[in-house]
Amino acid sequence: MKIYLSKETFSQISPSEFFYRNRDLAGFSNPTRSLYTSVREFVENALDACDQKKILPDIHMSIKAVDPEQSDPKPYVLTVKDNGPGIEPKNVPHAFGIVLYGSKFGLKQARGMFGLGATMAILYGQITTNKPVTVKSCADGKTVDEFVMLLDIQKNKPVILKHTTKEASKTGLSVSIVLEGDYSKAGSKIRDYVSKTSLITPYASITFEDPSGEKFHYPRIVKEMPPPPTIIKSHPHGVDVETLRRMIVDTHYQIPPVDNKMLDKVKKELGLQKKNLATKDILERAQKRWADLSRPVRTIIAVMSFLNVDFDGLQKLRIDDIDVANKKITYWDFGESQSHSIELDPESPYYKQLANTIQGDTLLTFLTKRFQRVGPTTAEKFCEFAKFKPERRIGSMTNEELVKLADALQKFDDFLAPDPSCLAPLGEEPLSKGIMKFFNPEFASVLQRNASAYSGFPFVVEMGIAYGGDIPPSGLKVYRFANRIPLLYDEGSDVVLKIVNEMDWSRYKVKGDPPLVIVSHICSTRIPYKTVGKENVADRPELERELKNALQYLARKLAVHMSRKGAADMEKKRANLYAKYVPLISQFATELSGKKKEPNYKQLIKMGSEIEEQV
Amino acid sequence: MKLKNKSNQRTAEAKKAKLLSLLQKHGLNIYENLDQGKFPQFVIPSRSVNNIVYDKKLRQYILGSANAVRSSRNMSQLRSYTQLAWLAFFVNRLVREGKSSTLRDIYYSSQAFSIDFEDQPESDNIIVDLEAVTLSPREEFHIFPEERSSVFGDLTIEYTVPGYEGKRMNLSDHPDGYLIGPSLSSAELVDTSAELVIAIEKGGLFTRFVEEKVHKKFKSIIVDTAGQAPRSTRNLLRRLNQEMGLPVVILADGDVYGEHIAMVIKSGSANAAHLRELTVPDAKWLGVWATDIEKYKLPTIPMTESDIKRIYDLQKDPRYQEGNWKKQLEVFLKLKRKAELEAFSKYGLTNITDKYLPAKLEESKSF
Repeated sequence: MKIYLSKETFSQISPSEFFYRNRDLAGFSNPTRSLYTSVREFVENALDACDQKKILPDIHMSIKAVDPEQSDPKPYVLTVKDNGPGIEPKNVPHAFGIVLYGSKFGLKQARGMFGLGATMAILYGQITTNKPVTVKSCADGKTVDEFVMLLDIQKNKPVILKHTTKEASKTGLSVSIVLEGDYSKAGSKIRDYVSKTSLITPYASITFEDPSGEKFHYPRIVKEMPPPPTIIKSHPHGVDVETLRRMIVDTHYQIPPVDNKMLDKVKKELGLQKKNLATKDILERAQKRWADLSRPVRTIIAVMSFLNVDFDGLQKLRIDDIDVANKKITYWDFGESQSHSIELDPESPYYKQLANTIQGDTLLTFLTKRFQRVGPTTAEKFCEFAKFKPERRIGSMTNEELVKLADALQKFDDFLAPDPSCLAPLGEEPLSKGIMKFFNPEFASVLQRNASAYSGFPFVVEMGIAYGGDIPPSGLKVYRFANRIPLLYDEGSDVVLKIVNEMDWSRYKVKGDPPLVIVSHICSTRIPYKTVGKENVADRPELERELKNALQYLARKLAVHMSRKGAADMEKKRANLYAKYVPLISQFATELSGKKKEPNYKQLIKMGSEIEEQV
Repeated sequence: MKLKNKSNQRTAEAKKAKLLSLLQKHGLNIYENLDQGKFPQFVIPSRSVNNIVYDKKLRQYILGSANAVRSSRNMSQLRSYTQLAWLAFFVNRLVREGKSSTLRDIYYSSQAFSIDFEDQPESDNIIVDLEAVTLSPREEFHIFPEERSSVFGDLTIEYTVPGYEGKRMNLSDHPDGYLIGPSLSSAELVDTSAELVIAIEKGGLFTRFVEEKVHKKFKSIIVDTAGQAPRSTRNLLRRLNQEMGLPVVILADGDVYGEHIAMVIKSGSANAAHLRELTVPDAKWLGVWATDIEKYKLPTIPMTESDIKRIYDLQKDPRYQEGNWKKQLEVFLKLKRKAELEAFSKYGLTNITDKYLPAKLEESKSF
């Protein structure tokens, strides 16, 4: 691998500084948006933490104005407290004081990504109010550690102002920041967010106290947690060239750095601590002990053999590149101050050692070890398909070959579908209960589709439909969720909306402005958002198909309900009509016929309401 | 003096009795159905276009044999069934109490009985239904449209309306003529010295005829049809023809509409195909014919497009397939011009009564 450096100088900036400069990207563009984003980041972190440890979440959130008399935008204290596992005290400063510190890098469904947002919120708070963040954490259930700290933006390091320890009785985490916000503008969005979050998290109890002191409490509706997602390997369809390159880099061994420590290790393994032998003798000695030598030492010996140097000679040069494909080794000679390149003899016994080390695993091993649901049989079939030898070392591939490999990984159809165990759909029962409690409808139905995948990323669609009851007759409303997060904005361009609007609702006996609600939940390791704002989902064909199937299934259920309801309504209407008109007919007929007494028409009213409608 | 036929005596009263008994029969039928737990229904002759046929014998349009059933068992018909039952009930009251009402009255009267007509066209339609069920015109129900036509001449009538029962009256006492309204329509025709009925399309000419004493000169009763003759007028013309034995002649504008006014008096309209006794099959159309326009050198005005379209429409009507009716349409179509009755004024105000009318009356003896 060759690395070219340009002659210009780069001044490195810390991640905190980078995000400080680009805070708009992370949703901190103005006081309204920032307050809303901060709420989301903390609430979602709290819910994720509880999910991971299978703790039924109990979330308390409050927003208080520092000075209520001041007009918006003004500083607010945002506090989010959970009953999660807490964070080990020693990790607290890192978790909240370093941007890009986090544990969410594996491939599984989670609300947030990278733990970025919480630190951004802290950073934003510090920038706008110059107030520290207060973190209280109890991980062992016995003591609670309270940290008051600031972020050193240039160095990307936490600065602890105060650290106290107190006794505690249960685990949990509480984060409190002071930030400039505009609750008068963000309030409705935040309340909407909290309410919709409670719908998709029916196993959580959420309490929100707003600046006026009003409390919004959403009690727990179901007691069972949905099964948590597991971390899994990538699916072959889900990797591109760059991902593939990174996977290969951390698969094969690097050329060990030749420093004093390494030299000591080599000498020790050869039993040469005191002596300094000639090259030939070193190689001889190595031959005898080869089986006991560690891999890095073997590599160093191989390099020494090709360059024909002893330990002193080895220290005078720097290995720049071992190009196995072209059988060349390039090094920098400090003494001569120039670069040399020599041929590798493929016949040498050391060549194989070097080649294996540099080139890493065989393609077959790489495929089975590094991808989900790929066994030797599938891997061999794939090699045949991609026209690569299974024993080909992945490290020896040229750029063109890597592109070809990545391309073949995308195109090979015989890989098993992605493993959905990394997904955490809510489940039909909790979703149904949530909908019943939330909307109190006269009819509701839910459906969880089987897992599917787009571009190697597994996803599951869950959907619910609710009609009538407490739902106002103001037309169809769609509640969109992705990975248990409510999506509140950019509704118009969302794939779910597109599917819902494409439906011919009249076919399902839905007319006018129906009291109708659709709840859509998409779970995926990677939701195909259209924009960085992560509020609208793109219309991938695989996703569209799943959404459409789910919606049609539910719409049919609704149609059955509507027919029954229609029949009942019709009977009621008939009964009313006959009760109204038959006595009138009787009155007219009595006078017309010249009779004194009215006929006995009661039975006719009853019969009228019972007639089967002839279509 | 021409006295009424004995056999036809008290026609108005007889009709009234017949209608009342028919209504009672319907009432009894409904009553028994209700009592036996059956859904009552009305059988109404279908008034759809398919069921309107021209009867050559009767020389008028009649309804065919198709019937529509309006049943109280059918929920979508329950409301209109009740409306029809109400109307029968209400008409029964009107006729018994000798009260008259208008189409508009009916629409409002219904509201007192929680019979909700959505608009007047709906109630008008139910009235036509009852006409079809009883085969009687609405005038017999004492339901009248806005009146506009009138009659003048030596005709003695006897009122049957409450408060005037038995009172007689001669229709030559008032030179403006007498409105053909509910009381005149329900009156008995007693006697007349007239030997002819002249129906004329226009009020202006009607006045001229009275002034020129046409009723005396030609021993006639003059009727102003005020355009297309209303049913009450057509019924009066028929009665004058049938009960008093007077021939009826018609004078209308010299255009396609005038020709059709004469035709409707003679053989009715498709709209009233469910009704009889509105026609005067022997009535004669005196003019103005298309051929008269040239013959009498009348000043003309050009036909409009709708006039010409009307000619084409009428050429499809079975009654215009032969004789003078057919011929005059063809001549109108050839001329593409028309002449009004007033056109005779070019030759003097009395030209029409002095010259044209006697000539045409003479001519009419031959057709």
